[in-house]
Amino acid sequence: MNYPVWYLPETGGGFLIALIAILHVFVSHFAVGGGLYLIYSEKKGLREKSEAILDFTKRHARFFLLITMVFGSITGVGIWFIIALVNPAATSYLIHSFVFGWAAEWVLFVVEIAAAFIYFYMFGRMDSATHILVGWVYFIAAWLSLLLINGIIGAMLTPGVWAENMSFWAGFFNPSFFPSLFFRTFIAIMIAACYGYFSASLTKDQDVREEMTRFSAKWALAALILAIPSGIWYVSVLPEPAQALVMGKSPTVSSVVPWGLGGTVVLTIIMLGAGIFRADRNLKPVAFITLLCGLAIIGSFEWIREAARRPYVINEVLYSNSIYKADVEQINSSGYLKEALWIENKELTPENRLNAGEELFIQQCYACHTLRGGNNDIASLTEKMSHNALTKYIGRIHEVRYFMPPFAGTEKEAAALAAYIIGGVHGKDVVVADSAPPSGENVGQSLFEDHCSACHAPEDLKDAVAGQGGPELVQMLKTLDELSDEMEPFGGTDTEAGELAAYLEKLNRGGE
Amino acid sequence: MDPLLIPQPDTIPVSWGWFQFLLLLTFPLHLLAMNAMIGGLLIGLVQHVRGGTVRKQLAHRIAIALPLVIAFVVNFGVAPLLFLQVLYGQFVYSSSVLMGSFWLLIVPVLIIAYYGAYLYDFKFRALRGFGPVLGIFVLLLLLLIGFFFSNNMLLMSLPERFTDYFSVKNGTLLVHNEVEFWPRYLHMMCGAIAIGGLFVGLLGKFKKDDNPALAAHSENIGIITFNLFTLVNICIGFWYFLSLPEVQRKVLMGGSIPATAMFAIALLLITGMLFTGLKKQFWLTFSHAVGLVFVMTFMRSWVRSSYLEEFFTLDTLQVIPEYSPMLFFFVTLLAGVACMAWLLKQTYEAMD
Repeated sequence: MNYPVWYLPETGGGFLIALIAILHVFVSHFAVGGGLYLIYSEKKGLREKSEAILDFTKRHARFFLLITMVFGSITGVGIWFIIALVNPAATSYLIHSFVFGWAAEWVLFVVEIAAAFIYFYMFGRMDSATHILVGWVYFIAAWLSLLLINGIIGAMLTPGVWAENMSFWAGFFNPSFFPSLFFRTFIAIMIAACYGYFSASLTKDQDVREEMTRFSAKWALAALILAIPSGIWYVSVLPEPAQALVMGKSPTVSSVVPWGLGGTVVLTIIMLGAGIFRADRNLKPVAFITLLCGLAIIGSFEWIREAARRPYVINEVLYSNSIYKADVEQINSSGYLKEALWIENKELTPENRLNAGEELFIQQCYACHTLRGGNNDIASLTEKMSHNALTKYIGRIHEVRYFMPPFAGTEKEAAALAAYIIGGVHGKDVVVADSAPPSGENVGQSLFEDHCSACHAPEDLKDAVAGQGGPELVQMLKTLDELSDEMEPFGGTDTEAGELAAYLEKLNRGGE
Repeated sequence: MDPLLIPQPDTIPVSWGWFQFLLLLTFPLHLLAMNAMIGGLLIGLVQHVRGGTVRKQLAHRIAIALPLVIAFVVNFGVAPLLFLQVLYGQFVYSSSVLMGSFWLLIVPVLIIAYYGAYLYDFKFRALRGFGPVLGIFVLLLLLLIGFFFSNNMLLMSLPERFTDYFSVKNGTLLVHNEVEFWPRYLHMMCGAIAIGGLFVGLLGKFKKDDNPALAAHSENIGIITFNLFTLVNICIGFWYFLSLPEVQRKVLMGGSIPATAMFAIALLLITGMLFTGLKKQFWLTFSHAVGLVFVMTFMRSWVRSSYLEEFFTLDTLQVIPEYSPMLFFFVTLLAGVACMAWLLKQTYEAMD
């Protein structure tokens, strides 16, 4: 609300962040683990007095340089750019809170660049002991970079007391600092091993190919095994709501878990079958699949970590839509349009209702919802809702779905937002409900809108309630949690349950 | 003009002067590296196209250095952008969003340019006639990035343009139609070519005993380029000065004593630089030029403060004191400098 929103309705900023971030972390973790891999690969070549392994190491160092220095470092800047474009308020908050952490990370970045270039360009032109030391300088700088970034982004998920006292060190050494650091370190080594495995597949010398394939497979499997307990430790320190989201309450998380698990299983099979036992089976397509597995594992981890913060972008401080938690009460009383800065329709009138509603959509919903785009398309999610149902849903949105931020604004603004979606997006008539309390047949419909319409359109439930009488439906309403984990038992009175059951019963009789 | 479209700034942990100091310390490093990149590549391309043994050797040497130079342009750009965001976040985040589509485009453009630079380096001979074509393509991409940066840096200084957001929400607002845009951009790029000439001279001095002809040619071409483009840039600089709003011009002409003093020092350095440049005194010219880049950066900072004075001054930033992270940064910086010194020493000894 403090900053303008870069509005690309069909694309959505979230998609762009995910795209850049996932590709970046896949390379940036390689940049950390790869340093260690190069050192031990070179040491292996020296120990075994194998020129062929040293040649492999040099070729891999060139590949490493091209991937990490270009794609890795520029997409790193890219993440900074995209988060500042999509969520400038959160970025500003993080930059201002941790500026000297970022600045220290920049120093390490300078050292990384210099050491990486020297390591590659001086390969074979420097005495081995010094060359290995250069490799260590690179790896330590890269790992310390990871440590610094881990501390800062960890504060976004598990702020601990930082959310209250804003102390740099409290935020940096947040509750997930150590588990996340261990987990990321092992994942970095695992990814480096995937890249090493890939490099091995490109090697023409059969002996070296098999030797380095086995070497890479051992690294990958060891790192994977060590990542499991640190991952469990990581989840155990998350706040309760975040744990619930990670364990299945968030559809966003549920959608990527199979990718992460699938990647882990396939990678383990390949590293065992076409690595440890039959290194000769490391063919280019197989090696490419290991890279995809590494991408799936780190990508799903980052996706889950992001989703676990919901409804916040900085846990307990700033909601995903850039509204400070502390400001919501004030906004609810005076109105979002009045309080927010980058708003054209500062006063809500009957004439500007759709335009103001669109501004509310852009400011409060667009952070997670596209408009007729691929990611959480608001049009398809609301196509069966009425204006009245949507207005009521917006008022209870955080209560119904914890991972969505509460609507911040007045009831009239919630109605304007609903009017924009129903009238402006769907082109339906916006029928404003009577402000008088519902009576007679309307009671059941009103209860439905209050309690069910967030997830269900009436016509969708016809089959589910077909053939059931009032008492059975009342019983079902009271035990909805037995039908699905995502539902809770109906929370109204017995009379209300009866009214709602009567409404549901009428659905198949055309009486909705 | 709607001054209300300026976001509330976040608090800072130490006095704004520290950030200003760090900004003014690191930004010239980025500029010097950027100048080496743009100017060096342009000179390398001209040498490559003109042909001949020594010229091609020079072009190849520049091509080899280019990826490393790009890496440091990016790296040295990170720190000043960080400190700029701390001091002027409410302006630069807003302006970045207003031109978001172009601002983000910098990332893929830079990746393509960077890989192009590596290809130009690794396949310099194999590319034959296509080499210069590739180099020109890379140069154009880098100039495009500079164009986007100039847009953003000017837009952040013009909050009165922020209301354009209501008609352009898709991040495609540019300000190249502002009267000071083109002289500002051309002043920066022309200066880059001039200083790039000195970088080329410096590059030729590397292992000069191995190839004295290359060293002499590099220094000669470098200083000629420097002299020529400095003369052109003086004209562009004058145009830029005249294009500035009257208030900002006055800041440099007595309105602010320190800014005016800096302007006077800059003029003295330019005079000295031209004198030593025409006499082909390389190191004296080089040291004048480096000093001038720092002084120009300070002047630029005053002009920006003047642009924004109506809306914001740095001393209004609220400080919630916490000094230990800054100490941690300085210790890291010292350790980093020590590491760099060790790395360079080992490399130098190995090459010797």
